[in-house]
Order: sequence, then C-alpha cells, then structure tokens
Amino acid sequence: MRALLALTAANLRSFTRDRAALFWTLAFPVVFVILFGTIFSGGSSNYSLGWVDQDGTPPVAALRDAFTANAPVELSNLSIDDARARMRNGDLDGIIVLPKGLAAAVAAGQAGQPGAPVGITVITDPSRTSSAQAIQQIATGLVMAANLQLSGATPLMTVAPESLQTSRLNSVSFFVPSILGMALMQLGIFAAIPLVQQREKGILKRLNTTPLPRWALVGSNVLVRLVIAAAQTVIILGIGTALLGVEVTGNPLVIAGFVVLGALAFTSIGYVIASFARTEEAANGMTSVVQFPLMFLSGIFFPLEVMPEWLRGVATFLPLTYLGDALRQTMVGGTPFAPLGVDALVLAGWLVVTLAVSARYFRWQ
Amino acid sequence: MVASSSPSNSGALHTVIAVDDVRKAYGSVKAVDGVSFEVRKGEIFGLLGPNGAGKTTTMEMIEGLHPPDAGSIAVLGLDVRRQAPAIKNRVGVQLQTAALYPQLKVSELVRLFASFYDHHVPPDEVLDDLGLNEKRDAQTKTLSGGQQQRLSVALALINDPEIVFLDEPTTGLDPAARQSLWEVIRRLQGEGRTVLMTTHYMEEAEALCDRLAIMDHGRILDTGTVDELIGRRFSERSVRFRREGAPPGAELEALAGVSRVVEEDEEIALFTKDVPATVAGLLDLTTRAGTEPAGLMIRRASLEDVFLELTGRALRD
Repeated sequence: MRALLALTAANLRSFTRDRAALFWTLAFPVVFVILFGTIFSGGSSNYSLGWVDQDGTPPVAALRDAFTANAPVELSNLSIDDARARMRNGDLDGIIVLPKGLAAAVAAGQAGQPGAPVGITVITDPSRTSSAQAIQQIATGLVMAANLQLSGATPLMTVAPESLQTSRLNSVSFFVPSILGMALMQLGIFAAIPLVQQREKGILKRLNTTPLPRWALVGSNVLVRLVIAAAQTVIILGIGTALLGVEVTGNPLVIAGFVVLGALAFTSIGYVIASFARTEEAANGMTSVVQFPLMFLSGIFFPLEVMPEWLRGVATFLPLTYLGDALRQTMVGGTPFAPLGVDALVLAGWLVVTLAVSARYFRWQ
Repeated sequence: MVASSSPSNSGALHTVIAVDDVRKAYGSVKAVDGVSFEVRKGEIFGLLGPNGAGKTTTMEMIEGLHPPDAGSIAVLGLDVRRQAPAIKNRVGVQLQTAALYPQLKVSELVRLFASFYDHHVPPDEVLDDLGLNEKRDAQTKTLSGGQQQRLSVALALINDPEIVFLDEPTTGLDPAARQSLWEVIRRLQGEGRTVLMTTHYMEEAEALCDRLAIMDHGRILDTGTVDELIGRRFSERSVRFRREGAPPGAELEALAGVSRVVEEDEEIALFTKDVPATVAGLLDLTTRAGTEPAGLMIRRASLEDVFLELTGRALRD
C-alpha cells in the first residue's frame, strides 16, 4: 500500500513536470471549451442591424425603442445605400427599412380607416442561416406586437423574449459535457505513451527487480489517470458553469460514476495500445488512429442526429458515443441517445473486453 | 546444487547463488545454453564475454526477470521461480540501461525505491555513500552518465542487499568515473556483500573479480580466478625487448629456459618457464656485445590471451 501511494505520487510528479502532457490533458480541453463557448455565445447574442428610417416620424422612433428594448440588437441609423454597403462588408447582420408614409398609414388605421398595410423590409444574408432566421423572427415578432398594440387590441398571448436565447444555451450545454467526454477519452488512450516509454527505457523491467507487486504498478497508473480525470472534470465544469453559464443539473454521484467508468474504459484501451505498440513512435501513431475517429464519429462535435445513417451505425459501437451521451444526460439533461443503463453497460463491456486483451498481450519487457 | 533453505546447511552458508544447467532460447536462438556456476558469499564474481554471449540473459534469469526454459537457479537458498518476492527483498539490481524516471529528482527517486522494500537504509545514507548528495534536488535527466550510473547503484543498495547484481556497470564511462565506480564496488565487498557482475572489459575483470566465468555463445567456457584461468593454459611468461640492437635469433633460442622466440613488428618475445635464468642469460649476451636490451619487460599471459585461446578470436572485435 505504501509502495502504491509512493508510486502514484511519483507518477503524478512526473506528469506535472511534463509540460506537453499537462497541456494536452488540462489546457487543451479548456481551450476547446472556451473556443466553443465563444463561438456559440458571442456571435449570436447581439445582431448589428442597419435602421433605415425613410419616414422620420415619432411612431417610427417608438418602434425603434421597442426593437432596442426587447431584442438582442444594436441599431445604426443609416441611409439605404450606406446600409447595403456596410452589410456587404460584413459590418451589419441585417437591415430594416421603414418606408415613407408609415406613420400616416398607422394614423389612418387608428382613425378607423385602414388602407393596405405598409411593408417593412427586412434584409438578411441567407448564407448566414442562423442569424438570418433569428433576425427575421425578431423583426416579425416585434412588428406583430406593435400592430396589436397600435390597433388597440388586448394581447391574449405573449412570447417571452428569452426564447430567442435557448438555442445558444443548448449549444454550449451540448459541448461542455461532450468536451469532458473527449478529454477523458484522450486521457485514457494517452496512458499508452508513458507505459511504452517506461517499457522502452527499462523502467518497468527495473521495477520488476524489486518486490513491488504488479497489481500495485497497474493500480498506481490507474489511480494517476483517475486523479487527472477528476482535475479535468472540475476544470471543464468549472469553466462551463462560471464563464459560459452552463447549469449542471444532474446527480453529482451519477456524474462522478460515469467519469470514473469512462476514464477506466479508455485507460484500458490505452493498455491495449501499449500491448501492441513496441516503440513510443508506434504508440503515438496508434493513439492518433484511435482517437480521431472516436472524436468525430461519437457525436462530440456534431450531434448524432445530423450524421448520415451509416455513420450513426458506426457510432453505435464506439465507447465515446455512450460516455458523451451519459455525460450530456446527467449533466445538462441532454436528449438521450440510449438509456443511462445502456450507456453504463456498453462502457463496462468495453472495459472488460479491453482488460482481457491487455492481460493477454501486454508485455512488461 | 543448493536446494535447501536451511541456514545450518554448510553449502547454503557459503554458496549464495547456484546456477545449474540453465537454458533459455528466444525462437531458434539459444541465448543461454546449459550454464552452471556457483557464487560464494562475499566474493566479486564476474561474467566475462563479448556482447551477445548470454551474460545479461543469465544475470536477468538469476534476478527473476525471465524464467529459464530448463535448469534451476537458487539465490540465498531460495528457488528463483517460486520464491522470487522473498529474494527480491534481499538483493539489489543495477540494469545495463540506467532505468530512471527522467522527471523525478534524485532524492524523490531514492525514496520511491525505498518504499518498495520491507526494510531499507536511510535514503540520504546511500546518496552520501555514492557522492550524490549535492545532486539530491536535481532531476535525474540532468545527471551526467557517471552520475546516472552511480544513482543506479545507489538504488540497488537502498534495501541493504546481501547480493548486488551489476550489469556492465562501467560501460560508457570515462576513466575517472570508471575508477570511482570500481572503488564503490570494492567497498561493497568490504561491507560483506556478494557482487555478481558482467563486463566485457578485460582489465575490469582482472582488477575487480575474485572469480570469473568466461562466456561465449551462451556457454561458460571456463571458470576460476584470474591466475587459475591463465595458469591452466599458459605456464610460460614472455620476456620482451625492442628489436633494434638485439642479439641474433639463434643466440636467443639457445638461452636457458627459452622454448620459443617470436619476432614481432617492434619487439622480440622470449617465451620461458624460467624467467630469472632467461633474463640473466640475455643480460649476459648484451653486456658482452656492449649494449643493453631496450624496453625490457616481463609479461605473463593475459585474460585476452585466455579468451583468444578458448574461442580462437580476440574479445575486442
């Protein structure tokens, strides 16, 4: 036991003094989380729109106030030509044109003599799908509200303006557990590298000349991975909740259980790699070959629903599909790909099979 | 053959390692092909031979790293296959490649190894003994080759071992570092420990080892002290001096005790069983000629000659 703890401490010290290992296991996932967080929150929170007022009357000014007060937009007063030019340069996400005669038409309508409705033009860029749709929705919603109010009708239904922001929260909420899953996958698979290094340098052989039992040697490697997994979880979730406003709703014990199960399953896959890789270079190559398909086919970066059918077929065999699914479900209440019990069973299955393979093929010298 | 673990058995008291007809093959290569020898308590025993002779494989089987295909090995009266953990607690091992954790500090590494054993000496003590105290806070990857080798020996001594295994301990070291490690090895013997070492350096074997086994192609060709190994083959010594101004060959052949005269590039060698008579006769000859033999020296045969005699080739390729 004393040897197990001493060896674990030694391995952790070696790990913290290895800058490359530190970067890839701790800093890299953090960079990922921050990057995705910024992409999915920063870009969509405020749309900058050109406000082309060709009427210049108080009702139009009131409508402008309604826009700025109720929607995530920044308006710039511009002529139609300036606005088009700036949108082409990418400075504007869209343009709203208030035509001449708008106030007069409103006044006529309020006086009980409505003519044809006046068209407010909303110009957006269809190549930017999400912002185009959002701007159209914002404009339509606000104009409808103005219509109701100006025509004196009592609103029977309202739409909460926060609903415009749920899609942003969903994206970040989707990515934070996914990236944790990816980080645990890499942590486990990269267990192969120090193992192969230690075998190549003869460290494993040297340890075998001491009374240190093999279970303590394997146990300390697993403990090291679990300690780092805990650090990764705390850091990634900390950044997710503190900086990106992700709400972790699940039972912490269930989350911890899946973090441990995932770290064990992938560490065991790392041992399989170390069983077949003779040199450090070979181990590096094999970890890449294993990790990239896992990263891209397990619903980490793209939801499984958007993948073609045959790729989803591949994904149903991959352990990261189930770890990511379980973490999304337990952390942020993500839509299940499989029931949690199935997630746990598949991960446990991978653990058992890869343990058996590495027990059969792992070489100490 | 020592199978008994009873300390009252007189054989067990004196023989600490007994290797009996041990074999190990890797595929079709017979790395060790029927090796037997015994190491006595308190001696420095050397396995001498070229690279690939099977020295390291033999040593690592004794250390319990590889099971032999056939034969038996007893260390401290314990069977290597069945009682490996008990043996490992009482021996210290230095492997050929200095296997260290590159990112750990010297003191951390020594404390780590101390934790593996039931009983250990204070880590600072072994660092002091091997002159590594100044380096205690240095990461091991920053050490020089000689320092790494001494650290490797320090780790082998942390459990106060009865037997120390040293595999090519001075390979790659400069002469000063080699001398300092020789001192350490002699001190181990002085402390009552038994040392089993491999080497392919003739002068190292001659300087350190009480007894030697000469290995080649997985077999032991001969075992004994340096004097025994040489004496069994070479009863003569050579009297050598420079060729220029030397007396003629016929007169040299007629000198007392001389069995043959070999004229080399620079020197003449007189092989004799009676060195005093031959030297007296030689001086007599040269004095009469009004000269003296330049660069006169007397050499006995070396381990190098023994190896050449045993294998038909020089130890150094």
